[in-house]
Amino acid sequence: MAAIETDGLSKDYRIGFWRPRPYRALHPLTLSVESGEVFGFLGPNGAGKTTTLKLLMQLVYPTAGSATILGRPLGDREMKRRIGFLPENPYFYDYLTAEELLSYFGGLFGYKGADRAKRVSRLLDDVGVGGERRMQLRKFSKGMIQRVGLAQALINDPELVFLDEPMSGLDPIGRRDVRALILRLREEGRTVFFSSHILSDAETLCSRIAIVVKGHLTASGSLAELVTSTVKGWEIVLDGLPQTPAGPALLKVTPLAPGRFAVEAVPSVDPAQLARELAGATGRLVSINPIHDTLEDLFVQQVDNAASTDRFDGGTEPNREKSA
Amino acid sequence: MSLGVSAGTVGRIAANVFKESVRDKVLYSVVLFAILLISASYILGELSAGQEIKIVKDLGLAAISLFGHFIAIFIGIGLVSKEMERRSIYALLAKPMSRTELVLGKFVGLLATLTVNVLVMSAALFIVLAISDAVTDPFFKKAWEAPAVDPALLTATGLILVQLGVVTAIAIFFSTFTSPVLAAAFTVGLVIVGHFGADLKNFEQIVDSKPLAWMARGLYYILPNLASFDVKLQVVHGQPVTAGYVAMTTGYGALYVATLLTLASLFFSRRDFK
Amino acid sequence: MTAGRLPAVPVLVAAAVLLAGSIGLQVRRDRAFHTDRPAEHVLYVQSPEVVRRLALSFDAIVADVYYIRALQVFGAAQKKTRQAKDYELLYPLLDMATGLDPQFNMAYRFGAIFLTEPKPAGPGRPDLAEKLLLKGLKANPKKWEYVQDIGFAHFWGSRDYRTAASWFQKASEMPGAAWFLKPLAATTLAQGGQRSAARMLFKVLAESGEVEWMRKDAERRLRQLDAMDAMDALRRVAATHRSRGGPAPVTWDGLVRAGYLRGIPADPDGFVFVLDPWTGDVRMAADSTLLPLPDEPPPEHQAVPGS
Repeated sequence: MAAIETDGLSKDYRIGFWRPRPYRALHPLTLSVESGEVFGFLGPNGAGKTTTLKLLMQLVYPTAGSATILGRPLGDREMKRRIGFLPENPYFYDYLTAEELLSYFGGLFGYKGADRAKRVSRLLDDVGVGGERRMQLRKFSKGMIQRVGLAQALINDPELVFLDEPMSGLDPIGRRDVRALILRLREEGRTVFFSSHILSDAETLCSRIAIVVKGHLTASGSLAELVTSTVKGWEIVLDGLPQTPAGPALLKVTPLAPGRFAVEAVPSVDPAQLARELAGATGRLVSINPIHDTLEDLFVQQVDNAASTDRFDGGTEPNREKSA
Repeated sequence: MSLGVSAGTVGRIAANVFKESVRDKVLYSVVLFAILLISASYILGELSAGQEIKIVKDLGLAAISLFGHFIAIFIGIGLVSKEMERRSIYALLAKPMSRTELVLGKFVGLLATLTVNVLVMSAALFIVLAISDAVTDPFFKKAWEAPAVDPALLTATGLILVQLGVVTAIAIFFSTFTSPVLAAAFTVGLVIVGHFGADLKNFEQIVDSKPLAWMARGLYYILPNLASFDVKLQVVHGQPVTAGYVAMTTGYGALYVATLLTLASLFFSRRDFK
Repeated sequence: MTAGRLPAVPVLVAAAVLLAGSIGLQVRRDRAFHTDRPAEHVLYVQSPEVVRRLALSFDAIVADVYYIRALQVFGAAQKKTRQAKDYELLYPLLDMATGLDPQFNMAYRFGAIFLTEPKPAGPGRPDLAEKLLLKGLKANPKKWEYVQDIGFAHFWGSRDYRTAASWFQKASEMPGAAWFLKPLAATTLAQGGQRSAARMLFKVLAESGEVEWMRKDAERRLRQLDAMDAMDALRRVAATHRSRGGPAPVTWDGLVRAGYLRGIPADPDGFVFVLDPWTGDVRMAADSTLLPLPDEPPPEHQAVPGS
């Protein structure tokens, strides 16, 4: 069953005071996130990631389209019992302590007494702020607030967790911890939908991703489909060559040291045979590596495409996810 | 039809509001009040033999009302708008609750704060009055219109509390659809107009124009009639304020609050949090 | 149960029902209890100086509020919804309004008219009217209107025609004063207490009053004088009828049939005069809009009618 399904979900904001005109923050977005997967929702800042999450959390209302979460309509109270949400750059009531904040939110889920206290203390330990549980949040650093935010998103053992930029504001140790947390959530069978503009996060965590640029969904699918489906070419390093290698199959030759070269070859050749030919009598093969698209390449390419082709077109074409 | 409002959820939000006002030292106003009252009664006691009881009552009731208005307006506006401005509402609304419950919880929470405030201030007033009573020469007491420690004062403070409920609802109402600055301006404006409500009712005694008098009468009924909650003078002068008046005025206040909160919920439920 | 947008129409209907309920309760409460409070306010602080300080920079607005309250005291009392003692607050309210805003022209002039108005339609305090106007004159020494109004207070309120004439004279000598003040002073001195003098005063006001309200009031006064003249004439008719042996009781119909009158007489506002069938006395209809008529000085002060 799909954990999240959106159908033509879109959002226009009115901007300008005297003559408000619509600004399309999100073009009709159709995508589905399967139960149990870690789904990365990627895009540069201002691409519409947060708008999408706000739409799903019903913090803003769609201009058109609809969505379901866990098979239920947005805003459904029973559905909200089963999800967790970490907003981008979260802020919580700074007059409360970490413990009080979690107790308050736990109370909204109907947890009471010892059960709630146990839940709160376990979660604060899990995210690594157990030692500061009695401290008012106004004294917390940004990273610690982020950790408290993660804890509050998990207070109800959610089946589905929405994380908006979970790594932002964290130091390297914090990022490692969050990565570990997301992997643990996946192991526990929960669905994670997270947005990020940092690609290395997605590459190590996600089973599937979607890329949004300027409010358009530009790519989506499994990482394998999007990234490693084709070998872009071969990188061959050779040593002990008398002269610079040349040939029709070579795309690029980079001298590394006297007699040592790195060559890039077209994907259609047999790399082993090409290496033997190039090495000739004196040369020696150092390494052969396939060249793959990285997520970053894909990302940069999408952003470039959008920048060159997308002159706000009013969103006539649907923002449909490529079938997986 | 279920309104989808859970008393438990409203209560938890209200408790958090109360906690916030305690942590933000709102209740310190009580201490300021007590100091003001005690020093004023001491100074006045030196000045006016026998009449200071009336003046202490006037001053005490006026201060309870004034402090309450400040709290109701400025905290009342912050309750909802601060959640939006600081974006703490994002995480909150993802919890199993509705925006209506948020509006109601904020109202109940501030009303609880105001209740504690009014109760403690009333207690302080009674203590000061009891002390003044004890030290006043019985000769002067003959001129009093009402006893010093007069239970009727509670009628006045009770109606002040209902009045503050209406003011709080006005503040929340405006803060659900305008910016905090505008909401403050509108609330202060409406509260001032509300206190002059009775003047509108008697407008036909000044103007001859029928439509104008009708308009004034219409406004009198639609605008919050805050003056009707004000029985300070009657109480201080020992005039009776009947249970019927108190009941009908309280009922009026409750219905007016319900109207405002219904509209506030409607506007708030349709708002985008950009 | 889905949260999200509340449906506008049902919620607005609910709010309207609640508001209607609150209005209904207000109407019932106002009927059951007298909540016309502003005039019952005790003026806690009677010193304009103190209020001016309390009012910060809003003294003009506060002055307006006090003035409106004064109008309400007067208006309510005129409509007989209030006891005469309620006029006690009139002067302090006007004093406050003019103290806060010393250039408050209307407060001086209307205020003096209210204060002068004889009982029971007004407080009958020409002395306070004079006090108020003198205060106004101190703040605005060039206002000849205030001097004229002091004369008016003496004329209509305390019936001291000599003093009234001297104030009119004084006003006429001020720069910019109206042309009519000199003849008014002369007439007042010569014929004070006669209706002719009053008639002149009000005619002048009806034609030259600077505010519509004042003109209307003067016109009403003129109609009152007309009514009083008419009643005197009708009394004479009734007396003549009796002295010529006409049958008692006297009725309007009888007088018309006897040829003394062309029709049943009514006052200028259209209310039929009441004729006492046995004494021949003539009164205003009890519901006439011209009531109450001003008191006239006792007859011995009047010049003999018809002389």
